[in-house]
Amino acid sequence: MELDYLATVLLSSLSSASILLIATLGLAVVYGLMGVINLAHGEFLMVGAYSALTATQLGIPYPLAIPVAVIMTMMIGAIVELLIIRRLYGRLFDTMLATWGLGMVFNQCAVLLFGTVSPGIGMPQYSLKIGAYSLAVYPLAMIAVAGLMLAFVYLLMTKTVYGMKARASIQEPEMAQAIGIDSSRVNTLTFSIGCGLAGFAGAILLPIIPATPSMGLFFAVKGFLTVVVAGPVALTGTAVTALGLGGGSSVTASFMTSVVGDIFFFVATALMLWLYPMGISRNWRRKL
Amino acid sequence: MLDKLYYSASFVFPLIATAIALLVAGSLDPYLAFVATSWVIFGLLGLSLDIIWGRGGFLSLAQTAFYGLGGYFGAVIAINMAPQWGMTLVWALPSGAIFGALVAAALGYIIFFARMGELQSTILSYTFTLLVWAVTQSFKMDVGQAVIGGDNGLSNIPGFVIGYGPQAEALGPNGAFALVVVISAGIYFFTRWLMRSNFGRIVDCVRIDIGKSELLGFDIRKFQIINFAYSGAVAGIAGALFALWANYLNPSIFSVPEALLVPIYVLVGGLGTLAGPFLGALAIGALSFWLGGGAAGGQTTLILGAVLILLVLFLHNGVLGAIDRVWRQVIPDPNDAARNAGAVKIDTDVLELILKDAAEQAGPAKELDTVDLYKRFGGVVPVNKVSREFAPGKPYALIGPNGAGKSSFLKTCVGMYPPEGGSVLLGGEDVTRSPIFNRVRKGMGVKNQKPQVFGPLSVAENLWTAAYARTRDNVQAIAISRKVLDMLGLHEQAAVEASALSHGQQQWLDIGMVLCLAPRVILLDEPAAGMTNEETRELSLLVRTLAKYTTVVVVEHDMEFIRTLEGHVTVLHQGKLFAEGDIDTLRANDAVLDIYLGRSEHV
Repeated sequence: MELDYLATVLLSSLSSASILLIATLGLAVVYGLMGVINLAHGEFLMVGAYSALTATQLGIPYPLAIPVAVIMTMMIGAIVELLIIRRLYGRLFDTMLATWGLGMVFNQCAVLLFGTVSPGIGMPQYSLKIGAYSLAVYPLAMIAVAGLMLAFVYLLMTKTVYGMKARASIQEPEMAQAIGIDSSRVNTLTFSIGCGLAGFAGAILLPIIPATPSMGLFFAVKGFLTVVVAGPVALTGTAVTALGLGGGSSVTASFMTSVVGDIFFFVATALMLWLYPMGISRNWRRKL
Repeated sequence: MLDKLYYSASFVFPLIATAIALLVAGSLDPYLAFVATSWVIFGLLGLSLDIIWGRGGFLSLAQTAFYGLGGYFGAVIAINMAPQWGMTLVWALPSGAIFGALVAAALGYIIFFARMGELQSTILSYTFTLLVWAVTQSFKMDVGQAVIGGDNGLSNIPGFVIGYGPQAEALGPNGAFALVVVISAGIYFFTRWLMRSNFGRIVDCVRIDIGKSELLGFDIRKFQIINFAYSGAVAGIAGALFALWANYLNPSIFSVPEALLVPIYVLVGGLGTLAGPFLGALAIGALSFWLGGGAAGGQTTLILGAVLILLVLFLHNGVLGAIDRVWRQVIPDPNDAARNAGAVKIDTDVLELILKDAAEQAGPAKELDTVDLYKRFGGVVPVNKVSREFAPGKPYALIGPNGAGKSSFLKTCVGMYPPEGGSVLLGGEDVTRSPIFNRVRKGMGVKNQKPQVFGPLSVAENLWTAAYARTRDNVQAIAISRKVLDMLGLHEQAAVEASALSHGQQQWLDIGMVLCLAPRVILLDEPAAGMTNEETRELSLLVRTLAKYTTVVVVEHDMEFIRTLEGHVTVLHQGKLFAEGDIDTLRANDAVLDIYLGRSEHV
């Protein structure tokens, strides 16, 4: 096998793993810091994508459309937390079912508002030549975006007052309340940030994945699996898992068919859950 | 009258519903009959989830996988057999059921034997459905006359053929509706019977308190797998019926929206009610039917989503749950008796009788020995090479300041904490690596600090379950549980739900359940916690009596209680044996006082 082919496969697999990580990070933050699985996460991604798309159609340049998407999804996320999630604390499966219902509602609203097909926005036409192969630059840039997102969340959680409060609330909920942290306000913000990250993902991935009402489903499903396999250590665990599962399935897909890639993903997930029934990061010393 | 009906409602109303469905089957509009058949089939699919979720306590998102696989498998068999033999039901239903059960058992083996977390189990079952979905998209295979064509699906499935031979004709829509109703009703009543049988009782116990069920000596994993396999069989039958109804199957049967529709049926009707899913499927089906044809057009999904949110937020127990709550308020409350219960007085004569019987049935008391038992959590070593022998005769008390490792020692003996070194011997037999339920069967009886009782079950049922765990015989279990009830003097409260008892009474009930196990070694973790002085005196009497017939080890803080036990006392400190003797010598021991008071020399 030629080296240039191998390099191409590796780079594009790394980029798909990064795309998975970008799409999953918001889910991981909400699960890691609130213990809540947001089954409507994929639909928040979709809302972000449509917000960015609508903004560009109104004449706002694409780079500025991304913050619009983030603000939009953060606002919706905060409202959802106040109206639904807050009432279901400690009822994991009920939260899952309620957010799944929410996802269906969002999905159907998007169909009503935008129809099932919508115009994509063009991808910047730069490409990178490796030997006989050429790769589009934008998907490769997602590797850097994923890194930046990780760094952003890490700094947010370790260097800000909010981050300290959020981590305190999940690690020692009673102690956090006792020293006067209003955990429900922290949770609203956490959920809103998680949704904002989903919105950011939807917007930044718009040139690669065109906005459709059901676009969230694909990422959401793989995202849940990634987060659950990762276990309690939200950030590092998810990054490692996304790299392993997403990269692995992408490598498999490039040598065989995309269905085999998917099968690899699901079989690997099942295997990891069997070996680590509580997630791979269950016994890790680090907490983020 | 009303309360009699309440307790037989799950029999009477489904029977009436079945009768009505059969009465109108002939006169229904054929198209409505055709559509309504699918609602009943979805109800059956919902029932399969209710069995494993409402009763087994595991939210499985793999029910559509068993349903689809059962459908495919049953359809392939039916396609090949029908042209010659007719009678598609005889081929399709059993093969669908068997295939569904086998697949569920295999998945259940992985989930339950790995002892996966709740969320992980649910997600793994979801992964399984997705995996099947991905595989079937491109799975092409010819089996005899059946052509499985990946995305193109499997067509030419014969309808509901009753009658043998190649000439047999398929039933029309009205006949098919009646047939599906009869089959579903049969499965419902069988499931209802199964869930009220001894097996169902234990499945309920596993859901309510999985830890306590294992402490009674049940191999919970077996019950979970059998229950899951049964739910897989029901889903497989539903799938086979669906295949015969639709005459066509394709991979969309495994899709995500399908998988998540099943919990809605269950939640709408009422979780754990068995009849609820049929009601839910009927309501959702009728809603879609009406909306699909009416002005609202394609808004079904939107409405379903909103309904799901509202259900979870406001009506968690579904329609039947809401009716149940209202109905319960108008019939006499069986828990009334709990309010006029006095303090528990032990009847020692009955107790001695029970203990003699137990010795006859379960053999003589056993010694419990630990050899260099070692357990660590990271840098903390709560059990540090403890070697000790516990023999029958006098009770043993383990004392020590907080964090001395008393409870950890007990939990390591029981098997809740796997030790890193050393061994635990029960009657000379090495049980260090045995699962908890095996130790219990070999004669270890454990009472944890918090009372562990099955809240929704009655006092008598709690005791019965414990006795049944040992004897596996209904008649003996009833006799034993009645004796223990005599001893505790809780006759008046026999029909009261355990959760309605006071904290102290729950402690007694828990101790009673341990006695039902006829243990040869009894481990009690802070039994006097939360008891009144009077109750503590009774407890002391009980422990001293127990020690005459069995080995008893008590972890306790209450020094007065320990003094009244008049037994051996062992002081633990930082995971090690520190001192031993009777309570008065230890009270005079300076070193023991030092560690209790935190004085520096010995800390």
